[in-house]
Amino acid sequence: MAHARRTAIVGIGATEFSKDSGRTPMQLATEACLAACADAGIDPSQVDGMSLFSMERNVEIEVARNLGIPELRFFSMVNHGGGGGCATVGMGAMAVHVGAADYVLAYRAFNERSWHRFGSGVQGHHQSPEANDVSFSWTSPFGLVTPAQWAAIFATRYMHDYGATSEDFGRIAVADRRHAAVNPAAFFHGRPITLEEHQESRMISDPLRLLDCCQESDGGQALLITTMDRAVGLRNRPAVIAASAQGVAEDQWMMRSYYRDDITGLPEMGVVARQLWASSGLGPADVQTAVLYDHFTPLVLPQFEEFGFCGRGEAKDFIADGNIEMGGGLPINTNGGQLGEAYLHGMNGIAEAVRQVRGSSVNQVDDVRNVLVSSGSGVPTSGLILSTES
Amino acid sequence: MSTEAPAPPDGFLVRLRSGVGGRGAVSTAAEPVSPAAISAWCAVMSETGLRHVERADGEDPLAPMAMLDVWTMVGFDAVRLPERDAGEPQQVVYQMLDDAGFGGVVATNSNQAYVRTLRPGDIVSQQTALVDVSSEKQTALGVGHFVTTQVDFTDADGVVVGTRTFTVFRFRPGTGRSANADPRRARLVEAGLDPDDFLDPPQRPERPRPRWNQDQAWHWEGLRERELRIQRFTDDGRLVHPPATANPVTHAMDWDWIVASGRGVLHSWTVVRHRPLPVFDRPPVAALVELEEGVRLVSNVVGVDVEDLEVGMPLEVCWLDSHEDVTLHQFRAPRAPRRTGALDPGSLDVGDRLPGEVVEITVDLVVEGARATRDPQDVHHDRVAARAKGVRDIFMNIMTTNGLVSRWIGDWAGDQMELRSLEVGLGVPLHPGDLLALSGSVEAVGDDTVTVVFAGHAPVGTHVTGRAVLGVAGRGGGTGA
Repeated sequence: MAHARRTAIVGIGATEFSKDSGRTPMQLATEACLAACADAGIDPSQVDGMSLFSMERNVEIEVARNLGIPELRFFSMVNHGGGGGCATVGMGAMAVHVGAADYVLAYRAFNERSWHRFGSGVQGHHQSPEANDVSFSWTSPFGLVTPAQWAAIFATRYMHDYGATSEDFGRIAVADRRHAAVNPAAFFHGRPITLEEHQESRMISDPLRLLDCCQESDGGQALLITTMDRAVGLRNRPAVIAASAQGVAEDQWMMRSYYRDDITGLPEMGVVARQLWASSGLGPADVQTAVLYDHFTPLVLPQFEEFGFCGRGEAKDFIADGNIEMGGGLPINTNGGQLGEAYLHGMNGIAEAVRQVRGSSVNQVDDVRNVLVSSGSGVPTSGLILSTES
Repeated sequence: MSTEAPAPPDGFLVRLRSGVGGRGAVSTAAEPVSPAAISAWCAVMSETGLRHVERADGEDPLAPMAMLDVWTMVGFDAVRLPERDAGEPQQVVYQMLDDAGFGGVVATNSNQAYVRTLRPGDIVSQQTALVDVSSEKQTALGVGHFVTTQVDFTDADGVVVGTRTFTVFRFRPGTGRSANADPRRARLVEAGLDPDDFLDPPQRPERPRPRWNQDQAWHWEGLRERELRIQRFTDDGRLVHPPATANPVTHAMDWDWIVASGRGVLHSWTVVRHRPLPVFDRPPVAALVELEEGVRLVSNVVGVDVEDLEVGMPLEVCWLDSHEDVTLHQFRAPRAPRRTGALDPGSLDVGDRLPGEVVEITVDLVVEGARATRDPQDVHHDRVAARAKGVRDIFMNIMTTNGLVSRWIGDWAGDQMELRSLEVGLGVPLHPGDLLALSGSVEAVGDDTVTVVFAGHAPVGTHVTGRAVLGVAGRGGGTGA
């Protein structure tokens, strides 16, 4: 990819993460964007691009108005919600690389807990006979209406085919919560969990237990993207965008890709993985830490397989014995992930990858050179590799 | 919300109870127990028990125990009904309740105890006694009184062959607990008015409604016809589900459909435990089913205990009318074969589960069930009459429920066991297009008796719960072969 290692994330800014922000999503978006500009050391009026992903309800023109941005030259919206997080950075990188904009802001801000809860799924939808509404008719009449329920169908089959257990899923939650416990910004700061607590948590939709499901959060997270040329003069060490990619695979559905021969993998993540490795010239061995999308723990396991950290069905062995915790071979979600820090559709995870590159994470991994980030699993998705070196 | 209903007139309960202990006239069946009636009943209930069907030894078939109360019913000849019932002690109470506004009626319990097997030629008589009238109760349905009767059934010698205790709840329509959670309804009730005369009835929760356009309408129309239609591209015969607009390989847009066999296996599943939609009375099993034709679809598995769900288990389609104009496919385990050998009570443990079964409630089953049990009530066979009485459709009578339960338990117990008693408590009614999922387990084991507790779940609630005692055929009270 022509823009590989030519662009960077130069600013990150977030609000606090809570269950009830007490203010509007628009204010959260504005605060996060201002914080990202301040972190980079630029004036918001220098921003001339906005890169969004769907389910973002703070329309970019109103955020631009609040920031006093005189001209927007680039603005885009990537589809498919949580799958588009890393893609907003990729779109921004491409835009600044070709000169469509100088500084691009990407953000997610919502009161996802206190206002509209995504966890409630598609109840009450189906308003029209257009394709997207019709697509839910194959599942909703049977009571399968929320993301947790959709994910559970994959998890049952994965367990059956590979012998993974609920405890294997639980190890993801335990690692995330252990990392969150030492992160003052995390909602679950100071509140680690044990595998036993995971096993005792109530069943939500078999085999998903409560502690397999990420929290719902209020908050905002913004990222600022520019070219390496501009990045070098700014306040913080640039997180070089070594590669970015999007992925959709054959017979793709939104969290309901149930009709493929094999439903235990995440082939759309495979599309992302192959591009990231090819365009960066890197491989799994070159990554020191990863931020893997963790809305539901069972869908974290096949990500290790799609990215090639282990073979098909071997993730349960890869994550055993603390390999994904601090000091292990591949610490993941060092901010606590979405299970532990906050559910910001993965944007807070990208910010954590930036901190790992800067060397400023609360769970700083030694000698970080490359960080892998993934976006929503089970949906059309995207990914990033952020690096220390251009 | 107060549970105190408007105070009835002084002495009302005393008057209601004045007939308790009274007995009605002895009424004798118009026809004797007959092989034809047994055969018709067995056909409706799918009863294949060797003692009840054509017998190898040339003996007449024996009446299934659950037919106890069929013989003295008047059949569809409803004209005779008021004539015969006039003056019965329970009818006096019903009339007093009607006059006081307790016009709603629902049967709540039916307990049958069987003394001996009836055989062709037996002439059955019945006599009803008024056993109890309860004080005024507030239930989910409304404010009213439970009225309990006991019927003794006797043979031509006057010897008791079985008894039935029956409880109905007579209530004031519109005074139900859930209905009156709506303050508008509560105010009307307080004013002594029937809220149903003024307000729309509370909406029944429904499943999410599927939407379709002309690309998929044929699939949903097929479900209405009880056909599982799967798209086939005509150029290479490729099957695609959910339907697509073009063959993904050849891009041809010419397609028709096949009707799938309805057989398949469970590919994956989940049980929606956290906040299932309100329409689901119990956590639904959502399933990914792989049809034997090779395509998959999302559906529900019904009538299988969660512990018995297993990837790869065989399934077969059944049908649920989920909305006025929508039918959904559902999947059940294939029906367990009837036990051919003898059930040994000694081999059973408390908690052992009976094989689940899912019964499709069809118009035929409801109407033929009423006919086979000689039940004249129009709400069981006349859709127009049922709707005029405020019911959305005809509904299955209790005697058919008893028949299905007795047959299902009999299939598990086999021919060496027979029913000693059958107690049922009744819940939501079953209409055509519903599914009844029967499940049960062993509650107690005696030397030669077994007690089974069971439940029958409809998609929107529990239709029936109960207890059956089985004994070794020919021992104990029974004299059947």
